[in-house]
Amino acid sequence: EEPPSGAGEDGYDYGKGDFVEHACRYCGIHNPACVARCNVPSCRKWFCNSRGNTSGSHIVNHLVRAKHKEVCLHKDSPLGETILECYNCGCRNVFLLGFISAKAENVVVLLCREPCLNVNALKDMNWDLSQWCPLIDDRCFLSWLVKVPSEQEQLRARQISAQQINKVEELWKTNPDASLEDLEKPGVDDEPQPVVLKYEDAYQYQNVFAPLIKLEADYDKMMKESQSKDSLTVRWDVGLNKKRVAYFVFPKEDNELRLVPGDELRLRYSGGTSHPAWQSVGHVIKLTAQEEVALELRASQGVPVELNHGFSVDFVWKSTSFDRMQGAMKTFAVDETSVSGYIYHHLLGHEVEHQIIRNTLPKRFGAPGLPELNASQVLAVKSVLQKPVSLIQGPPGTGKTVTSAAIVYHMAKQGQGQVLVCAPSNVAVDQLAEKISSTGLKVVRLCAKSREAVSSPVEHLTLHYQVRHLDNSEKSEMHKLQQLKDEQGELSSSDEKKYKALKRATEREILQSADVICCTCVGAGDPRLSNFRFRQVLIDESTQATEPECLIPLVLGVKQVVLVGDHCQLGPVIMCKKAARAGLAQSLFERLVILGVKPFRLQVQYRMHPCLSEFPSNCFYEGTLQNGVTVNERQTSGIDFPWPVPNRPMFFYVQMGVEEISASGTSYLNRTEAANVEKIVTTFLRSGVVPSQIGVITPYEGQRAYIVNYMSRNGSLRQQLYKEIEVASVDSFQGREKDYIILSCVRSNEHQGIGFLNDPRRLNVALTRARYGIVVLGNPKVLSKQPLWNSLLTHYKEHECLVEGPLNNLKQSMVQFQKPKKIYN
Amino acid sequence: DDGMAVGSDEDEGVEVRQKVVQIDLKEQEDFDRELKALLHESLESRKSEVRSRSTTLNMKVPMNVLESSKDPRATESESGEETVDEEGGNAGGGSKVRVKVLMKKGHKQQTRQMFIPSDSALVQSTKQQEAAELEE
Ligand SMILES: [Zn+2]
Ligand SMILES: [Zn+2]
Ligand SMILES: [Zn+2]
Repeated sequence: EEPPSGAGEDGYDYGKGDFVEHACRYCGIHNPACVARCNVPSCRKWFCNSRGNTSGSHIVNHLVRAKHKEVCLHKDSPLGETILECYNCGCRNVFLLGFISAKAENVVVLLCREPCLNVNALKDMNWDLSQWCPLIDDRCFLSWLVKVPSEQEQLRARQISAQQINKVEELWKTNPDASLEDLEKPGVDDEPQPVVLKYEDAYQYQNVFAPLIKLEADYDKMMKESQSKDSLTVRWDVGLNKKRVAYFVFPKEDNELRLVPGDELRLRYSGGTSHPAWQSVGHVIKLTAQEEVALELRASQGVPVELNHGFSVDFVWKSTSFDRMQGAMKTFAVDETSVSGYIYHHLLGHEVEHQIIRNTLPKRFGAPGLPELNASQVLAVKSVLQKPVSLIQGPPGTGKTVTSAAIVYHMAKQGQGQVLVCAPSNVAVDQLAEKISSTGLKVVRLCAKSREAVSSPVEHLTLHYQVRHLDNSEKSEMHKLQQLKDEQGELSSSDEKKYKALKRATEREILQSADVICCTCVGAGDPRLSNFRFRQVLIDESTQATEPECLIPLVLGVKQVVLVGDHCQLGPVIMCKKAARAGLAQSLFERLVILGVKPFRLQVQYRMHPCLSEFPSNCFYEGTLQNGVTVNERQTSGIDFPWPVPNRPMFFYVQMGVEEISASGTSYLNRTEAANVEKIVTTFLRSGVVPSQIGVITPYEGQRAYIVNYMSRNGSLRQQLYKEIEVASVDSFQGREKDYIILSCVRSNEHQGIGFLNDPRRLNVALTRARYGIVVLGNPKVLSKQPLWNSLLTHYKEHECLVEGPLNNLKQSMVQFQKPKKIYN
Repeated sequence: DDGMAVGSDEDEGVEVRQKVVQIDLKEQEDFDRELKALLHESLESRKSEVRSRSTTLNMKVPMNVLESSKDPRATESESGEETVDEEGGNAGGGSKVRVKVLMKKGHKQQTRQMFIPSDSALVQSTKQQEAAELEE
């Protein structure tokens, strides 16, 4: 049997934001003073005494619509847990009940209208029957008995309409446990509800996003679990931590998800004459350039290390990230302390009165250990520190990591508690953690348990490293147990218990002493952070996260949020088409931009040769991108490459070869382009460029695989050189750079669209990866139909960089462009 | 080096430009009709029910409970009193009056303290009553 996975990771209670039992079933308000329970045994639902958008208060609304008549007060209400009834006859019909007071004393009592109020016998007693105050007045319970929630409470509650109330009451007649969400649930074949710009409340928000996340999760599960491979050859090794590591090649076909470090796989041996069946789960800790997978096994015992052939591997799908998104949305809705009121309304698109954070601004906006900031970076830092919600747009190479680090530095110095810094990808989190740490702040990088064995450039900042290396005699007990565990693979159950408790305490101590905690957005839902509150949160690459993903770090009590990103580059990757069509691919950053929040744009780029930044600047950034590098700084002396215009390290290489559908039938490849990519690469290498300076990018997995294969077989130089060259998809190159980029467009079909290339944001990313030079290969006849590509081609042509012919004799191409069509496929 | 001041961490009242809640008149009419029907039906059913049962009514004011409750220590108080007291002040604006709510727990009579706004109909009526009695 497998030991359970990482402590706490499983069995984590997402119920932090769980619906409190006594929450109003209409609107979610759960202030005990404001709610009452319907006392009909088959119902027993709680409702509040606010009217919301309806004529009667919620509790009265329910009683009327359901024809229920009995009510019980909350145990924390002034009268305690009490069923409202006539003092005299016990009648519980609230529509008949009212208070009367005694003539002399300040004594009141509940009395029913019929018959008790009308009995003559009472008249002589001490009661004043002339002033009977009905319990329900003006369609509301007496507000001194069941309070009306404050305006603030009502604003943050679910905004339910009378129609919805009628519908859900109807539903409750057949299904008493139904929730309001059930009303909106689409049928199996229905298109999901699309995202919108503004949401009435966090419940509506959840109603829209929850099904989309579910769709994506189901798709992801289906995809990953179908990736089983058989007949694998395994070689064995032992890691530094004495754990077993299995190496094998995981054959990858087109369009399949790539494995990433941290993924969980099950390695199986189905058993034969020599060895019984065996299986173990492990985490991917490394992927080599040759697509070999290193899998660290969880259990070291009984591993069939004497065998090498006949293994199978399956993907172990984890719902953790999706669960955390769902959990965050729930918390956002039901926990009013999850985000500040301002941010709550702002995120939902409500019109909120402008707010300024009154902080003393620092004299200098830079930070120790960071490069000097330029003017636009200084302005960005300054404006962010004064606003509860800000967006920073960082076009390629504009130093958004440095700017983010400076912001975090100043936030941390404001003494508002720890700052939480997140990004959707681990790479980005590591980069930020490193930069922030260089300002002298105490940074802890929290990694998923599944990634603890994955090497990281900021290992010394990681929580698991710090736990292991804490130099403290008090911790020696833990270290002893750790050592024992490393050596024996496991501990006795009492030792394991002790070890876990010690470790948890140490982790907590280290986390609490940090100025800044860095983790992925999903990582912010880690149970180890569940008791932490963060008022200030910065999310980098936020345009690559879905909204619910972005929400995970926010619902830990945020009062000031900074979203960094660039909505002119690629957004989050959504695998499920249905969910993407409904708008899951739109980031929170983007929605806020559409809602009118003006992002602060960083304007000086330090990456591209000025020739290379010209087109992207004009086309994607209204010409605002300035060059922080000069032509001289991007001059390549000693590199002899046949650029058609000597001082312009760029050209569009006209290709007329046909596209083909790849073997899997789901992707494209283009053999002529691949052959020419190899020639260009070889020319670069011959001229003195080293492999690590070159990146080949293409939108299609089919072409990527074909180029890798083609170069290693047909390259005229040493094979190893070609193997070291990174060939990747445009999407996976986002956020990175190379000195030289070769872009292979692939699509060359007169009749069909150009697919992936149609997305302007993908083109922007592709064109802005190179520092020194870029070569684009493609078919102008086909590409020119798309307006954006048409202008790119025109740009190259005007600069005499649209060429054809052999590499050593490039000639300007006279190929005719087609009229751009206004339609997008 | 930066001489930072601690930022105000209060969630300074959010000003949400609120849409004016518009109650659908038709909805309101519909609701009122149902409410009225329910009231009517409740009354009618009680009338017939009570007649058929010919209930005897026993509504003595339990002076013993009230008397004893004049001495706070003797009040059959439950946790309710403490929690209510906090709200006794005038924090919320209008002044409040302390009343005892007479209730039955099983067959036992008891009182609970509550604070009700002095401008509520119930208090107003008592005051008028008292004033009237004084005049007499
Ligand atoms: Zn009910
Ligand atoms: Zn309610
Ligand atoms: Zn009665």
